[in-house]
Amino acid sequence: MAQDRKVRVAVDAMGGDYAPEEIVKGAVLAGQKGDVEIVLVGQVDAMEEELAKHDSSGLPIRLAEATEVIREGEPPASAVRRKPNSSIVVATKLVKSGEADAMISAGPSGAVAVSAVQHLGMIEGMERPAIGGGFGSFAPGILLMDLGANVDCKPYQLVAFAIAGSVYARKLLGVPNPTVGLLSTGAEEGKGNELVREGYHLLEDSGVNFIGNIEGSDILTGKANVIVLDGFVGNVLLKFYESIGDYALGWMRHKLKRYPLLGWMAKLVFDKALPITKLSYEGEEEGSGILWGVNGIVRVAHGACRASHIAHGIAGAKKAVEADIIGALKPELERFKKEGKL
Amino acid sequence: MSVEEQIRDIVSRIAHVDKSIVTRESTFKDMKADSLDVVQALVAVEEAFDIEIPDEEAQKFQNFGDFVSYVESRAAKKDEA
Repeated sequence: MAQDRKVRVAVDAMGGDYAPEEIVKGAVLAGQKGDVEIVLVGQVDAMEEELAKHDSSGLPIRLAEATEVIREGEPPASAVRRKPNSSIVVATKLVKSGEADAMISAGPSGAVAVSAVQHLGMIEGMERPAIGGGFGSFAPGILLMDLGANVDCKPYQLVAFAIAGSVYARKLLGVPNPTVGLLSTGAEEGKGNELVREGYHLLEDSGVNFIGNIEGSDILTGKANVIVLDGFVGNVLLKFYESIGDYALGWMRHKLKRYPLLGWMAKLVFDKALPITKLSYEGEEEGSGILWGVNGIVRVAHGACRASHIAHGIAGAKKAVEADIIGALKPELERFKKEGKL
Repeated sequence: MSVEEQIRDIVSRIAHVDKSIVTRESTFKDMKADSLDVVQALVAVEEAFDIEIPDEEAQKFQNFGDFVSYVESRAAKKDEA
């Protein structure tokens, strides 16, 4: 990052279900804090039209033109190569050239990953990108990796996730010596599918602070700071978790329908003191996660994210730049590779 | 090392398969490589041979042999220039 300026984040204005409207609005929200520069990337007319809806004068937001858009459903590898002027690719190239320190996109996550791998490359030792994320203050100091970048994982990838996750926990969650657990169907060695059983032995010999298998019931308890799992399970788990708050609130309302006073009290408690519907949507991890392993800071946001998610994602990208997560991950991976653990 | 051997090295490393599995008839599917592996292989080959492989050309590759033949012809043209 250039030392003489604020952190600069490239924001893909065209990616996501509510783009460009919600993305531009999110950039304005982040810009209003005044601690980050934003480069909105996309079709200039559309971005200007959206910016005109807000008081954006004097905000640290500039536009970068990208004439093409990669849509959901397009084959990622071919779309990225066929559309060099797409907002995803242009934003990635801004990071590559150093014009931006980080990027965020709510566009198709496969295309974001392919663009990042193609233009930024992978950090040596981590051959596949992974998405990490946690549960905010509901279960602080815990993160899971991978949350969906790799549907089919190979055992050696679990070791790379553990290393990247440990760096994440140290640099972004403030855990000095993070423990690593492998999600399985039982705590004993030998439990789980082939991937988990083989991954267990690799993690055991790897030199990370591995505490063994953990079960689903241990995820939120803090038994392990870094929970390693394949992206298929991670994605299912994440979406299930995100659905709990709204569902639980609806369930309680239904159950308390016959007791208006209790219902009113419950509403008060859960609206004010325990905002359960927001338990999975808080802080800088809200709505997006870092794509770990690529040689640059890339945040992948939910396709359905709204302005506040984008604003939080921009803040999260800034934090990752300031924590120099890439500079921290590179020597770690190098060390493990030298020791023959990767 | 021949062009074919160099590409075989790259592909086997990225797809995590033994070199013996990568024959001229092999497809990326045979190697259980996904789209990200394919992109990584294309980028690595482009860098190794200092060429650009347009997507329209890459999509025509039916197997590893097609990939090698394309790179060989591009590398030969580059040497002539």
